[in-house]
Amino acid sequence: MADFFSTYGFLLVSMLLGAMLGLSLYLPLMAGQLSLASPGFYALGGYTAAILSTKVFQMSGSLFPLPLLVVEMLVAGVVCGILGLMVGIPALRLRGIYLAIATIAFVEVLRVLSLNLEITGGAVGIFGIPQPFQTPIEYLWIVLPLLLLSAWFVYRLERIRVGRAFTAIREDELAADAMGINPTYHKVLAFTLGAILAGVVGAVSAHFLNTWNARQGTFDASIIYLTFVLIGGSRTWAGPVLGGVAFTALPEVLRAIADTSGLPLWLGQFLRDGRLIIFGLLIVAGTIFFPQGLVTPALLRRKRQPFSK
Amino acid sequence: MNTAARTFSLLTWLLLAGCGQSNSGTTPTSNSSPAALSKVPVGIAVAQTSNVALLGQEEVAGAKIAERYFNQRGGINGTPIKLVFQDTGGDEAGTINAFQTLITKNKVVGIVGPTLSQQAFAADPVAERAKVPVLGPSNTAKGIPQIGEYVARVSAPISVVAPNAVEAALKINSKIKRVAVFYAQNDAFSKSETEIFQQTVKQRGLELVTVQKFQTTDTDFQTQATNGINAKPDLVIISGLAADGGNLVRQLRELGYKGQIIGGNGLNTSNIFPVCKTLCDRILIAQAYSPEYKSKINTAFRSAYRDQYKKEPPQFSAQTFAAVQVFVEALQQVNQKTKINELPLAELRAKLNQQLLTGKYNTPLGEISFTPEGEVVQKAFYVAQIKMDADGSNGKFVFLK
Repeated sequence: MADFFSTYGFLLVSMLLGAMLGLSLYLPLMAGQLSLASPGFYALGGYTAAILSTKVFQMSGSLFPLPLLVVEMLVAGVVCGILGLMVGIPALRLRGIYLAIATIAFVEVLRVLSLNLEITGGAVGIFGIPQPFQTPIEYLWIVLPLLLLSAWFVYRLERIRVGRAFTAIREDELAADAMGINPTYHKVLAFTLGAILAGVVGAVSAHFLNTWNARQGTFDASIIYLTFVLIGGSRTWAGPVLGGVAFTALPEVLRAIADTSGLPLWLGQFLRDGRLIIFGLLIVAGTIFFPQGLVTPALLRRKRQPFSK
Repeated sequence: MNTAARTFSLLTWLLLAGCGQSNSGTTPTSNSSPAALSKVPVGIAVAQTSNVALLGQEEVAGAKIAERYFNQRGGINGTPIKLVFQDTGGDEAGTINAFQTLITKNKVVGIVGPTLSQQAFAADPVAERAKVPVLGPSNTAKGIPQIGEYVARVSAPISVVAPNAVEAALKINSKIKRVAVFYAQNDAFSKSETEIFQQTVKQRGLELVTVQKFQTTDTDFQTQATNGINAKPDLVIISGLAADGGNLVRQLRELGYKGQIIGGNGLNTSNIFPVCKTLCDRILIAQAYSPEYKSKINTAFRSAYRDQYKKEPPQFSAQTFAAVQVFVEALQQVNQKTKINELPLAELRAKLNQQLLTGKYNTPLGEISFTPEGEVVQKAFYVAQIKMDADGSNGKFVFLK
């Protein structure tokens, strides 16, 4: 068991981080806004933490103090929240695919900026980020409560007035407007909440990965996070959480299966080198057979029915 | 149960089955008991997939040749080595996962990898904490050996290799005064390389007339090329990758630049021949490896590589071969003092790390050794000039004396 945790500790934590990144993309999607900006805020949050921990907080001991990590997460959240507001207000005048394109452009702008600024370490990035824990698995102390908190937050959000307003805008923006819901306010709110969550996750990830550079949070990452949500399910909070967990783990699961002793050599080789092909096929199959995602509100309701009867 | 739920449970089952899967059959021993190895597992964690795979595959080729070569010669005093490959992909998280798997599941004595410097900054601290020796085959950025005691590299840093090309250019034409520098700003390697080039230019008392930036994804370099030519340089230095670097060379020549061109390490591949064809001619490139280096081990390595791939071995293959060789020879040394079969794995890893930093190795790269920090000390470097055939379809690297 100890071996299991030391091998997969890193993966377990990345799975939870993936779940939260899924949630950060799900938040604007709740209000019907297809925004791919999450990786940009994720990168920004990471840089915030990386710069704070390597340049501002001078450390003496071998482990990075936990309260400072929490401070970094808060700072990253605030920075991303402010930027989210600034970007959200003009960008959310766009709809559908145009918003998606604008947010891709935003991610690209951040990437080019981080490549050229002195403080972000250019293309090599920032390395030697101090560790708050001895082993990767201990990151669960931070990541698990954070996931529970954000999942609970989104779960509650789906059930209160603001969340209902999001849903109304998603289903029909004009009708929602006519009912007295302020679409701009709610759309920017959803977008900013997603930005804050992505930023906080980025701050943890920077420590978790030991290093941070412009290869984090690129356009490729946007697509992967979108996969989490689309395959997981884009109608309920459980969808992105499940999608994030499953799709972060999948490449590593295939690696583990490939290492099973007794498999024919060619199959092991295919599982090892063809991991990305299998990954891609699953995404295609997922979108064809589960257009609403694996977890739909109907699925959750059906489970509850036997108890209510 | 409807289909969605069924698929969901299938997925969960797969997850559990995969994660619960135990050892792949190398050595089912824990860290405290003696290793008692029938084969000594050495980990190779390079990028076998993703956009870095072009480099990673060359490294895999070098490692496989090394495994065969040393096992034919008896391995570690009779015990053969066994290379365990784990793909890192092109990203940082994948590299950490590959390292973790090698360290705890495959129980390797040491790791050769990863491919990129950025991946090394992410994964090397993992090995450092687990006290497993790591040898970087192609990490050239500043600060890699400083990650920790257990981290070393066989790839000479750019700061040592790059200046050799400028020397060579000055030897060919001592009248060079004005230098234009081009670099790909989105590539970590190119960015640190250009800093070294610019520093060298200034140290040699040459005039840096312009610095132009481009992206590795660009195809049109008219603006940069025109700006560069307008500064009237006698020497152009390009740090980029194969496709963009080749295109930039072509467009510089097409716009009438006649002087000398130095290419960075990214252009150090035959992949640029189809891009700039005859216009590739005369590009100077400094290298850490020359296939023409005369030594017993390089001749053996070169002929093994040529037999299998029908071309000259590239630098990354040679460096990975050298990294495996360092592990093998250091293990042989350790074995002479105490039988490695009787050492607990943790102790074997620690002893191996101590040993490998003190030894001298006669590799295909020439003679190498390490500083106590883990930085490689390489005796010889090489400068090659590209010579293209008249029809531009094929070319070769000619090593300058």
